[in-house]
Amino acid sequence: MFRKPIVLAVAAATALSLLTGCSGGDDNADGKKSLKVAAFEGGYGRDMYLQVIEAYKAKHPDVDVQLQLSKTLEDEISPNMKAGKFPDVVVLPQGRKAALAETLVKDKALEDLTGVLDMTVPGEQVTVRSKLADGIVGNLSTNPYNDDKTYLMPMYYAPTGLVYNKGLFAQKGWQVPTTWDDMFKLGDAAKAEGIALFTYPTAGYLDSFFFALLADVGGEQFYKDVMTYSEGVWKTAQGRQVLEITARLLSYAAKTTVGYANEQDFTKNQQSLLDNKTLFMPNGTWVVGEMKDAPRATGFEWAMAPLPAVNAGGKRYLTTIVESAWVPSGAQNKDAAKDFVAYLYSDEAAGIFAKANAIQPIKGIASTLPAEIAPFYQLYEDPSISALVGGFGSTAPVEGVNIKGTLFDTANSIISGDKTVDQWQTALNDASEKLRQAGK
Amino acid sequence: MTTTLTPPPRGASKRAPSRPPVSARGSAARGRPGDGRFVAACLLPALALFALFMIWPTVSVFRMSLYSWSGFSAQMRFVGLDNFTKLVDDEQFLRAFQNTVALLVVVTVVTMGMGLFLAAVMTRQKLRGHTLYRFVLYIPNVLSVVVIAAIFSAVYDQENGLLNGTLRLLSLDGLQQVWLGDQKLVLYSVAIAMLWQSLGYYMVIYMSSMASIPEELYEASALDGASAGRQFFAVTLPLIWQNLRTTLTFFILSAVNLSFVLVRAMTGGGPDGASEVLLSYMYKQAYTNSAYGYGMAIGVVIFAFSFLVSLLVSRATRREPLQF
Repeated sequence: MFRKPIVLAVAAATALSLLTGCSGGDDNADGKKSLKVAAFEGGYGRDMYLQVIEAYKAKHPDVDVQLQLSKTLEDEISPNMKAGKFPDVVVLPQGRKAALAETLVKDKALEDLTGVLDMTVPGEQVTVRSKLADGIVGNLSTNPYNDDKTYLMPMYYAPTGLVYNKGLFAQKGWQVPTTWDDMFKLGDAAKAEGIALFTYPTAGYLDSFFFALLADVGGEQFYKDVMTYSEGVWKTAQGRQVLEITARLLSYAAKTTVGYANEQDFTKNQQSLLDNKTLFMPNGTWVVGEMKDAPRATGFEWAMAPLPAVNAGGKRYLTTIVESAWVPSGAQNKDAAKDFVAYLYSDEAAGIFAKANAIQPIKGIASTLPAEIAPFYQLYEDPSISALVGGFGSTAPVEGVNIKGTLFDTANSIISGDKTVDQWQTALNDASEKLRQAGK
Repeated sequence: MTTTLTPPPRGASKRAPSRPPVSARGSAARGRPGDGRFVAACLLPALALFALFMIWPTVSVFRMSLYSWSGFSAQMRFVGLDNFTKLVDDEQFLRAFQNTVALLVVVTVVTMGMGLFLAAVMTRQKLRGHTLYRFVLYIPNVLSVVVIAAIFSAVYDQENGLLNGTLRLLSLDGLQQVWLGDQKLVLYSVAIAMLWQSLGYYMVIYMSSMASIPEELYEASALDGASAGRQFFAVTLPLIWQNLRTTLTFFILSAVNLSFVLVRAMTGGGPDGASEVLLSYMYKQAYTNSAYGYGMAIGVVIFAFSFLVSLLVSRATRREPLQF
C-alpha cells in the first residue's frame, strides 16, 4: 500500500511541473542586455537578418540579440504577447491575414518611435531622418493616427503597379497606354487577338490598383479623405468614377480570373501573363522572384507601369508598399530596441538588405539596386509619377465591417455579374460611415 | 490490487446484459480504506489538465464574447450581449451560417447514405477485390488537408482540370463550369471535397459493425424470401443503429471543423464570401478584423449550434437498442 502523503506529493508535483513547464526566464545570467528581435521570413529570405544581427553583435558585444525568424511569425509571437511577453523589435509587413501590426495600432499598443528619427545612426554621423527618402514618413502608413507621431518605421519599400510583358508589347508594336481611353482601346485590340486586357492574382492584389486610382481620379486630398473615412466620400462623383472605371476594366478581365483568384490557384492567374494570354495585372516587385521557375513565352521581359491617367497628362501615382519595423509598448528593453532600429538604417545594414532585394527608403539607394529589379524602381524618376504610401486609417475595431474586403473582394462579384456598381457603392458607403463613427 | 470479479460464462454475454454478481460489485466499490484517495490522487493530474486545457478555455470563450476586445490590449470593454445583437444584422455572418448549415445537411446525408450503401455492398455482396476498394476509399482520410486542396485544385481547374477535361472528352462541353469561381457552385465543390475526404472512414466503421452481425440472421431472412434491399432495412440497419447514431453525432462535429480547414485551403471563403463558413468567418473577425470579442461571440454560436444539432440528432434517432 502507498503512503498517502507521498502519493499526494507526487501527484501535486506532476501537476505543478506541467503548469510551470511552459514558463522560462528572460534575464541573462552574465549581465548582458538582451534584445528580442522577431522578423517575418518572407520573399527576401532569412540570411539577410542573420547577417545584420551578426554585424550588430560585432559592434555591440554587450547586447545579446535573440532573433526569431518565421514564415508564420504572428502564430508564434502572439500567444506570448497575450501572456504579456513581448518581443522588443518586430519587422513584419502590414496587410497580412493575422493583421498583428494593424491590431496593435487599433489598440494603441505601439511605442512612439518619433524619437528614433532624430537619433544618430550608430557608427555614423547623420540622423535617421536625414537618411530617409522624402515623404516616406509622416503618412498614414508610418503615423497611423494621422498626427505627427511616428509609430511604424519604414523598413523596405517596393513599387506596385500594372505588371506586364515588355517583350509582347514590342512584338505587337503596342504602346503602354497612358490614359484610360487608350487602355480600353488596347483592350479591344488585344481581344481581337484573343488576349485579355487584365487579370489579378487574387482580389486582395487590387489594393495597389485602387489606392493609385483614387489618387489619380481625385488627387491626394481625395485619397486621404477615402482613407480616413470622410463623410459621404463614396457618394461623391469621384468615388463613383473610381468604381465605374474599375467596373469597365473588369469587363475586360480574363475569364479565368475569378476561378483562380484564391490562395491555391493565384499563380495560374500570374501564369496567364507569362503565357501572353493577358496583358496587365496589379502586382509588385516580388512577382519576379515568385515566378522565377515558371515557363514563359519567348522574349518575355518583366516591366511595370503606373495606372493610366484619367486625363491626358494628369498626375499618376504608384502605390508603394512599405514594410515596417515597430516596438510594442509592452517591450522590456525599449532603449536597446530603439538603438537597434536606428542601426537598421546604417549603410552597413542597408547594404546587406539590398543584396537580398530588400530595398530601404534611404536616399541614394537607387545606385545600388540589383539589375533585375532596378527598372521597377526607376519609375520613381519620372516627374509625372509620384509615390503613394499609406492605407486605410486605423479606427477602433468595428464588428463585422471590413472595408478592404468590401472594396477588393466585390471585384469578383462584379466580374461574375452577381453585384452591380450601385450595390458596391452603397456597401462601401455603409462600411466607410461605420468606420468614420468608430474613428471619432 | 485484486478484485474478486470473475468473468461470466461466454454464452451468457450474448443474450443477457452482463452484470457481475451483486456481492462482487459491492466489494469492488468498497475496496480497502485509503483506496479512494489513491484513485483521486491518480486522477488529479489528468483532471487538472482537462480543466486547464478544456474547461477553462471554453468558459473563457463565453466570457470574452461579452467584451469588446482586440485580443492584445489590457482594455477590455464589457458590452453585454451587444456582440450577439450585431450578429443578427451581419449579412456576412448570416451567409456563413447558411453555408455551414447547407454543408452540414448535404454532406452528412450524402456521406452517411453512401457510406452505408458501400459498406453493405462490400460486406454482403462479397465483391472481388473488396479489400482493394476499401483501401482506395480509405486513403483520402489519411491525407492532409493541404494535399486534398491541391488535389481538388487539379480536379476543378477550369481549363485543364480532371472534371472539365472529362466533360470535354465526352463532348459535354456545355456542362463545363468554373467550379471554384461560380458563386452558386463553389459551396458544392467544397462539399464534394469533404465527401471524398470522409466517405472511406465512415464506410470502414460501418463495415466493421456490419461484419459482426451473425450470418444466421441473413440466412433466416433469406429463407423467408427477403430481398437484399429488404435485408438491409430490416436486419442490417436496425442492428447497427447505435453505431450509426454515434457516427452521426461525431460527423456533425467534425464536419464543422473540416469545412473550415478545407475552405481556408481551397477558396479562402471566396469568391466574395460565397463559400465562407462560420469558423472561417470567426477567424476573419477575431484576427484579421481585430474584433476578438465578436469572433468569440461567433464561437459561442458555433458551440451552441453544434451542441443543439447533436442533441436533436441524438433525440430524433433514439431507438430501443436491439441485440443479437
